[in-house]
Amino acid sequence: MDSSFEQVTVGRDVEFPGDAELSLLETLDHVLNRGLVIAGEITISVADVDLIFVGLNVLVSSVETAHEVLRERQRPNVPTAKRADD
Amino acid sequence: MSESEPRTSEQDKYPSGDGYYVYCIAETASAEGIVVDSIPAAIEEGADLELISRDKLTAIASRVPLSIFGEEALAERLSDAAWTAIRAMRHEHVVEHFAKQTSVVPLRFGTIYLDRSGIERMLSDQKEQLTAIILKLQGREEWGVNVYCDRDALLENITSVSARLREMAAAAKQASPGESYLRQKKIDALRADEAKVEIERAIGEIERKLTARSDGVTKLRILTVETTEHGELKAKFAFLVLKVEFEHFRLAAEELARQMESAGIRIELTGPWPAYNFAAP
Repeated sequence: MDSSFEQVTVGRDVEFPGDAELSLLETLDHVLNRGLVIAGEITISVADVDLIFVGLNVLVSSVETAHEVLRERQRPNVPTAKRADD
Repeated sequence: MSESEPRTSEQDKYPSGDGYYVYCIAETASAEGIVVDSIPAAIEEGADLELISRDKLTAIASRVPLSIFGEEALAERLSDAAWTAIRAMRHEHVVEHFAKQTSVVPLRFGTIYLDRSGIERMLSDQKEQLTAIILKLQGREEWGVNVYCDRDALLENITSVSARLREMAAAAKQASPGESYLRQKKIDALRADEAKVEIERAIGEIERKLTARSDGVTKLRILTVETTEHGELKAKFAFLVLKVEFEHFRLAAEELARQMESAGIRIELTGPWPAYNFAAP
């Protein structure tokens, strides 16, 4: 792409380790810090989420681990039980 | 152990049985139309995704063992960053699958109910609020915009465009060594001030121009000092963009990126995301 513009498209295969880490952090930020908070019967406190993030920053700095986690996104579903006929 | 002490048996701490983990909420009519044969994996092995419906709303959920996802057990697991990251990715994978095909309310990681009836009650109690969010998000997706600054490039650019700084630099060169040092320090301080003003101006312009091309904007906190090959992360935004308008949004962002490149300011676009940052009523 002949452009001055940097585009990271979520879900696309990530080629460079730098991009992989960034994309992983972005994803974790979205999932853990954003999204509608509904008072479920079991919930995680905001203080816990902040702590989780500290750990994740350390985790993501390991490129190998980052790739391992990123692979989860592409993980196919393995049906766990035969569905009843519907 | 005395009789009066509170019970802290392993059973109390790690209850048995299953609870339900909820990923996102959609309208029943659209959720039921989503292809199920390519459905992604649930957050925990040993369960499939389930659609739990009430009052025209459907929660996308899956069974999770309370021995892992119960309150105390979960708090312990969460201190394991790798465990958490993998579950967070599975959560995202599920939400993305549904968000690609219909308007969903993405829930934050870690919303768990003890049984189906808890979810049904929630759908019923919050019907109005949830329906309003689904409507607001219809046909839209979230795009992230990160603004980076390469400080050296910015400082250089500031000197080259400022006649005053160029004059001061020339004067500093001709002065005696001691005088020259003092003048140079003054120039550096001025440049740093101007760099700060320029970054703020650029961020303001990016926010203004892209807000005009979107249906909503949220300025996000910067979590860590991120320094990449593009420089230091200076601002983070999330924009809610109509899918059919995305090309206009992208072109506006490209235009800004081109204008600001020589000043050491880089713009990065990420997405499309499920609308996590716009899932509030």
